[in-house]
Amino acid sequence: MWLWYDWRAAAIVNQDGLIIDIIEWSKPEVKQATYRIDAIRNGGLTDEAEVLAQRFPEATICLAGSDELPEADYPEMTAELNEIFEEAALGLAELGLSRAAGDSDRRLEHLQKAMTEVRDITLSLESRLVEWVGLFLPQVRFERNRVQLASTVSQSDGLADLAHKLGVEAPEVEPETSEWRSLKGHAQSAMTFRGQLDRMEAAVRTIAESHLPSLSALLGPLLASKLCVSAHGRERLARLPSGTLQVLGAEKAFFSHLKTGTPPPKHGHIFSHPWISKSPYWVRGKISRTLAAKASIAARVDAYDGEPWGQEQVSEVESRVNEIKSSHPKPPRK
Amino acid sequence: MAKRSGKGRRNPPGRKVNENLRLGSREVWTRNADSGKSVYGETRRDFSGEEWRRWSANRSKICAGLLCARENPDGLIPNSGDDILYLGAGHGTTISHLHDVICGPENIHSGRIVGVDIAPRCLRDLTFLAKSRKGIIPVLGDARKYAEWQIYVPNKVNWIFQDVAQSAQVDIFLGACQKFLNHGGTALLSLKAASERWTKEGEKALFDSVGEKIANSGLEIVEAVDISRYEENHVLFHCVKKAHS
Repeated sequence: MWLWYDWRAAAIVNQDGLIIDIIEWSKPEVKQATYRIDAIRNGGLTDEAEVLAQRFPEATICLAGSDELPEADYPEMTAELNEIFEEAALGLAELGLSRAAGDSDRRLEHLQKAMTEVRDITLSLESRLVEWVGLFLPQVRFERNRVQLASTVSQSDGLADLAHKLGVEAPEVEPETSEWRSLKGHAQSAMTFRGQLDRMEAAVRTIAESHLPSLSALLGPLLASKLCVSAHGRERLARLPSGTLQVLGAEKAFFSHLKTGTPPPKHGHIFSHPWISKSPYWVRGKISRTLAAKASIAARVDAYDGEPWGQEQVSEVESRVNEIKSSHPKPPRK
Repeated sequence: MAKRSGKGRRNPPGRKVNENLRLGSREVWTRNADSGKSVYGETRRDFSGEEWRRWSANRSKICAGLLCARENPDGLIPNSGDDILYLGAGHGTTISHLHDVICGPENIHSGRIVGVDIAPRCLRDLTFLAKSRKGIIPVLGDARKYAEWQIYVPNKVNWIFQDVAQSAQVDIFLGACQKFLNHGGTALLSLKAASERWTKEGEKALFDSVGEKIANSGLEIVEAVDISRYEENHVLFHCVKKAHS
């Protein structure tokens, strides 16, 4: 005996293909149909099927279209029901689409990539500005003051004023008025983009810290998010072996290694972590291997709902890193 | 693209395969079910008052199959009014032409196209298409997980097409055919060599071994259509499910 059901009816059928009992949905309607189809897709039963399942507990429950069901005169779909079904299915697809925005992986991906683009723009705007101002005011030394320069320029009324603010002599050659305006506008854009970059970084931090708490604790939220995006999502990052995680971001070097036998890369994105980039070159490979191993555990903790890592676990890794450094104080002999 | 008149022709070039489809040696046309609109920038043209759309072989593997097939190309196309299942629906380029053929304007032939895709980005386009073309059912789901979309296919269908570029695509295909295809129904698999595990023997051996696998699972291969003229490293397997054995 089988319990046949779909979104708008349920029936009990025996071995001979006879329908013994049947309940149809009394008042089919689009909105409810959407919820019903959604429930069935997630393995749930409709109200009608529940009732029949209680009445005939021995019946095997089968969704319409299952192979085990015998041939029988199951309730027909009318044109009206078909209409409802099609509308509900469309509604459900739209519901699924709007739910896709709840996926932090996708959000992080857009944010991360947009941030990379904005960072590229900001840096080239700023370096152009430094060169541009340097042409008119050759005496100015900017050193590390690039970010400040943009705001100084955008607050000045003319090149002489700028020279005064920067504490150098008035310029020999004055730009045209329109040229100065362009320069100032350029500085303003640089500031705007710098502001946008800071906002984006803050946003990445927020999402990464909730989406990848352990990995963020270990590597910092920005690096964690970078790894997550280049692995195409948290789930996939968690499934990658740590050796892959170690070289994520160094694909060019890695595939050139596979193809032509150049030395394999020791680190990818993970290099930007200070434990690696600020260590002497001869221990970087060792540290990046250790760090990647721990990071891949952290990613698994995040992806499979583990207890998020705190300071304690991070200091454990740190002491291991220090151990590696102290056991290799000198570069290897060639 | 601009709509042009058919230069006095009464019908689009080529021979009639179906009321709504004409197949030439170089081009395929379908009768536009959603008059006045192009879906992906394809050419539209009037032939004796009817609007037809030209099916681009570079963007649709079925169209490429129609043009490349040697054995029975007509068998690649479902009939008007069929229920069909399309796994890996994509942006709806191919689906729009299938809709022309099996549903027609306002779905007068009462066909049904169930299009499953896992990517929200693709499904967004497909949902827009479904709104202007009745009979298309977009489903956001994983082609591998039959339970996610079985509710949309309560009766077995006559035609299945699968175009998912992921490993194990052959197993998904065979499973779907077994579960959802009528005996005597047509099953098409677009196989991308690069999506399968690379074997030393190369592409030819890979396609052969897939063909063998299909032939051992109750499907009869009509032809393994080589569509590499339009789509690199692809073969379109044209199969028919054997009658009850």
